[in-house]
Parts: sequence; C-alpha cells; structure tokens
Amino acid sequence: MKVPWPLYLAWKQLFPSQRKMSFFSLLAIVGVALGVNVMIVVIAFMQGFQNKFRNDIINNQGHARAVPLARYAGWKEIPKLMLDTEGVKAVTPYLHAQLLLQSGNYHSIPFVIGLRPEDGDEVLPIGAFLERGMTRLRADDGEDVTPLPTIDALEDEVVFVSTQAANRLRVRPASVVQVFEGNSSQRNPASSGRVRVARLDPYVETAEWEIQFDGQGSCVARENISGDEFAWEYDKGSLDLGFGYPVFEISKGATPFAAGDRFLFQVFKANKIEIYSPRMIEQAKADEMVPPKEVRIGGIFEMPSQGFQMEALIGTMRFVEDMRGEEGACDGFYLKFSDSVARNEGSLRAKCRELELLLDEDWAIVPWSVENAWFFELLQFEETLMIVIMVPIGLVAAFAIAIALMTTVLRKIREIGLLVAMGGRRVSVGMVFCLQGFVIGTIGALVGCGLAILFIHYRDALMTFIVDLIVGQEGQVGVTQFYDFQSLSIAYPWESPESMSTFLVFALFAIGVSTIAGLLPAWRAARLNPADALRNE
Amino acid sequence: MSDPGHTIVLEARGLAKSFQLGEASVEVLSCVDISLEESSSLSIQGESGCGKTTLLNLLARLEIGDAGEISWGGRKMMATDSFSSTESILRTRFLGVVYQAYYLIPELNVLENVLMAARLAGGPDQDSTDRARSLLSKMGVGQKEKQVPSKLSGGERQRVAIARALINTPKVLLADEPTGNLDERTGGQVMDLLLNACEEENTGLVLVTHNESFARSADSRVILSEGKTHPG
Repeated sequence: MKVPWPLYLAWKQLFPSQRKMSFFSLLAIVGVALGVNVMIVVIAFMQGFQNKFRNDIINNQGHARAVPLARYAGWKEIPKLMLDTEGVKAVTPYLHAQLLLQSGNYHSIPFVIGLRPEDGDEVLPIGAFLERGMTRLRADDGEDVTPLPTIDALEDEVVFVSTQAANRLRVRPASVVQVFEGNSSQRNPASSGRVRVARLDPYVETAEWEIQFDGQGSCVARENISGDEFAWEYDKGSLDLGFGYPVFEISKGATPFAAGDRFLFQVFKANKIEIYSPRMIEQAKADEMVPPKEVRIGGIFEMPSQGFQMEALIGTMRFVEDMRGEEGACDGFYLKFSDSVARNEGSLRAKCRELELLLDEDWAIVPWSVENAWFFELLQFEETLMIVIMVPIGLVAAFAIAIALMTTVLRKIREIGLLVAMGGRRVSVGMVFCLQGFVIGTIGALVGCGLAILFIHYRDALMTFIVDLIVGQEGQVGVTQFYDFQSLSIAYPWESPESMSTFLVFALFAIGVSTIAGLLPAWRAARLNPADALRNE
Repeated sequence: MSDPGHTIVLEARGLAKSFQLGEASVEVLSCVDISLEESSSLSIQGESGCGKTTLLNLLARLEIGDAGEISWGGRKMMATDSFSSTESILRTRFLGVVYQAYYLIPELNVLENVLMAARLAGGPDQDSTDRARSLLSKMGVGQKEKQVPSKLSGGERQRVAIARALINTPKVLLADEPTGNLDERTGGQVMDLLLNACEEENTGLVLVTHNESFARSADSRVILSEGKTHPG
C-alpha cells in the first residue's frame, strides 16, 4: 500500500532518516503522553474511589434496605415471601439502636445493629468484618494464636464492637498466646507437629495451659492456676472440655511427638462492658434501680468506610429488643440480589419496585444507589470538576504543538515552495503540518495510555510512596485506613467498559486537539505563494 | 528561435509582470515571448534583478502574470489565471526544477529526496526506485544514496537536485542558476552533467545563468533586458 506523500513527509519530518526522533517530536510526544496519562489516571482513581465506596456501602447495608412505612407486627413471614421472588438471594432482618457503653471510666455511644446469628451474615459479610478488625497481641516470647471469631459466637450476652469503640473502651475479646519458654522455647519442638487452639469462646477464664506429651500417643493437658489435669488421647480427636474452656487440637508433623514435648498457652479472658439504654436512663431518672446489662466482647470488627460509622456494635436482635424494651420488633431488612439484578441500576430499581408491590406497598424498598444518591452525586461533581480543571492541561500541550509547528512552517518556507514547484497541491502541503499534529497526538495518546496502565498496575506502590512523601510513615496508617488505598480497585480498560471509555475519550481528545493544533500552521503553509516562498531568505 | 518541423514543448507569448513597491508599480517583464523545442536547450541571461527568476516562475506557473499566454506541451493557459489543481498534477510530469540553493529536504536521505518527486507524481514503485538509483549513479552520487543532505558537498547536493528534477522524465527542466553556489570547476562538472542528462533523457532545458560559457553551450540563447527578450 502506498503511503500518501503528505503523511510520509509528516512522518519523516518527525522521525528523520538517520536520526531516531527529532527533539521537537520527543518533547511534543512526551507532553501529550503526560497530559493523557494524568487525565486518565486521575479519572481512573476517581472511578476507583467510586467503586470502592459503592462496594463498601453494599457491604454495609446490602443492595437495598426494606423499611416499614408503618409499624409492622407480622414481619416474620416477609423474608420467605421475598426470598420466593426471583433474583432475591438473601434477606436479613435488623434492628438499630443507640446505646451507652461503659467499661471502667471509659464510655462510648456506638451505632448498634441487631442481627440474628443464624442469618445475620447472609447479606453483611460479618466474617470479613471480624477478620479486618482482628488485632494480634505482640509478645517477644510468644505468639497470639487466637482463632478468628465467627458470627456463631454472637449471643444475647456477647457482642462484637468496632475497632474504634474497642479502643475507646480499652476492651478486647478473649485471646490466647502460645508461650515459647524453657524446653518448649522452639516454635516447632522435636516432632515438628503443633498444638492448635481450635475454638476460644467468650466465656473462657484467664488460664495457663500446659500440654505435655509422653511419646506414646497421649498427653496431659494441665491448667496451672487451678491445677486441673486432663488426659488427652490426641489420636482420637480434639480436647473439648466444654463451654468456658479452649478447644485444643493436634496438627501432626513429619515426626511423631516425643516424650517431653511441651506446649504452653496463656489464655486471657474477654472483657465485659456495661450497657445502658435510653429506656434505662429514663427509669433511673424516676429513681428506679436499673442495673446495666453486662455483656462480653466476642470479637472486634472493622466495617469499610469507618469514616461514616466510627463507633459501632453488633449484637443479637434479641439483645437489641431487650435494650429497647420491645418484643418482636424489626426496623427493616437488608437485601441481597443476584448479580444479574444488582449489576444494573435500572433492574435493581425495578426489582425493588416489584417487591414493594408484593408487600402491598407497606414497605419501602430503597436501593443503595437511591439511599446514597447525594454521596455519589458529590463524587460525580468532583469527577466533573477534575475534568474541567484538567482539560486546560491538554490545551496547553496543544498550544505548544501549534507554536512548534508554526515555527517549523517558518523554517521550511522554501521547502514548501519547492514542494509546490515539484507539483504538490497546496492543500496537500498544508496537510503535511496537520498530519504532524495528528501523528504526535496519536503516538502521545498511545504512550499516555500505556503509562496510565502502568500507573494503575503499580498504584499501591505509587500511593504508598505519595502518602509517605506527603504525611510520612506516621500518618500513613490513618490515611490508609480512611481512604483504604490498599484495596482501591481500578479496572484496566479491557476489564470494564467504563474504564475503556475513559481511555478512549482522553486518547481521542488528545488526538483531536493535537490535530487541530496543526491546522493553523497547515493553513499558513497552504496559503503561501510558492514563488514568494522560493524567494524567501 | 525554432526550426520548422520541430515540436514546441514550452511557449510563452506576451508575458508581462509588474510588482508593487510601495505606491510605485515596477514593471519587470513586458511582452516577453519565448519558445522551447522538444529536447533542446535555451539559456536566458541578464543582469541581476532583470526578471530572470520571475520569468521562470511564470513559465512554471508558480506566479500569476499581468498578461500573456503560456503553453505546456500544447496545453494553453492564461498567465493571469489562478493556479488550478489540474496544473499541479500536470506539473509533476511536465516540469522539473533545479534551483541555485538545491532545496533538498534535510530530513530525507539522498534516495528519499529523489523519490519524493516520484511520490508527488503518485509513486514511487520499483521502476522509479531503480530509475532514481540509475540517475544518482549517472550523477556520480550513487554511493551516497543513504546519506542525508547535510553530509554532502554543494556539488553533490546539486547533482541530487538534478536527479530529483529528472526522476519523472519531465518534458522540460527549468534550471535557475544551478551553478550559482558552486566554484567554477565544480560548476562546470555539474553543468556538463545537466546538459548530458537532458540530452540523454530528451528533456528540454531552460537555463538561467550569468556564466557566458554555460549560456553558449545551450542550443539557443536569449538576453533579458528592460523587461524584454533579445536574441543572444
């Protein structure tokens, strides 16, 4: 295929023979590439934040909330009714409350969520919240081996508190540390097998457990404070002494346990907190003796977007009913839909409306996007504002290209005259300069897109570096926790149509602006009288 | 000026051109007649500023005249008409141009410079590439086809410019003081090459020169003076 001569000459003027690239081409391409890169990266990060907040909100309250429009007594049949509707994956009832917590001299007034242990984690990922909130004790001569709590630990006298509430009240759930000392100072004694704590319920008391092997398939578990001893034939299963005791189990290594192998565990009991409800405070004002409710800490959790709900508590629905003094109450349901419904905002709204009609419009079914519309409008506004601020970056690059090409036209006036003298049409001569703008824009856009993909790929390292640069190591924890940079999900262009359109829009913008920048020099070149051009000194 | 029976390839009748200098109008050419027979050469001499280059520009239709008629191989055009794109297409095949200052494109190497003229005529193809190499060899710069113009001497640059002017086998070559930037010996060599190449290629030559001996080597001569041509 023959390349049209204006494109050939445009290319050669940018990338001359015997030279890889002219200095002007290099600067112009770098300018366009940086502009495209900055625009894409900023918008991609904004979209990443939007996706993160969207996922956080869905994790915190499901795809939608069902809220009764009037007090609704017969709510217990509703979950089944809704679950029978196509596209509804899970329905979890909840109660909300505001309570006063006290631990010693410390107080907290957290946002309280009441859930049923049997289905409380079907919409909200409570397990993931507890994992996020888990902080291990640090000891030079030991290792915190506390098993991760689950929603099964939730009882009417056991609650989970958020990291912020736990820190304010100075409380912890039960924990266990494996101690390395004496002849058990090796992390892996002779056998290379381990003794693990399989369960630690919130009712365990502070204790020191020593498990000593006899080298013949059994061992003795001794509690050193009470002096209680229990024989354990570990080949037959775990050591489960019932509620209030840790459950131990064996994890065998390559060689059997030897006589004298010993494992030490230090158990710390869970803290208790006292809880007052507004009703109790009213009763106290009326001189009634109202003892606070005492509960144990079953776990510490961390919900995403902690900035919105700093101090929180999760208890059973019965616990919240008890504190509110209401029986059979339900403030609403968290709903989770199938991916096909949740993926599209239109189908999500339609499904919510379908459920409202199913429930005779006694309930309002509010999708997450409607409930948090103000927040996403704010983010959208920020995104638009960023675009408005960044577009001049592209225009500045375009001005630079226009000026450089204009200078080239002045420098090449006699060549322009010669091209016409050799038979080149004046429009085609003008095209040489317009195409230079196009080539610069296209290469710059491609390089810019490539840089943006690199930035997205290395975003975590980049963000750590930037945050470290701005707030230093000390501030990094706070910034990371609030913005959650580590988990910021930014889609590559091949992963999401939204990301692809961002890349395309800015690449086409750069190509368009660069080409337009070449128009003025092109027009000037095309207007030159060839005879005057040839006479030019 | 022309023998009966020979075809006229380039002809101008009654060409006139004046330039505006402030409020005054300076007449450079008035009623100039010129004709060039096929495969012949014509030299134009005259003092500096007498309008030789203007005459060449008018003949090449790079400048609009005030009066007159021009004929390219029998195709008549009014010198006063605006340029047309049809003329551009015709120009690539009909005319070759050589200038005193060579005007090679600095970003292209020697071969690419020669082929640029072929590109303007819709090429290049393998034939034109072979022809470009052959012309460069004929001009004695065949070994330098990959060099960029800045690495060449003045004589070499002009040889490349001549090869470029001849690549599309034009009917007429307009040469505007092609040896003006060269020393006498190199200028003589370049002029010999130019005359020989035109003869071999059957290309008519209009040569503007100050050099008396170069002018005499053309088949016919005219002297431009006071806006008119006079037999030399």
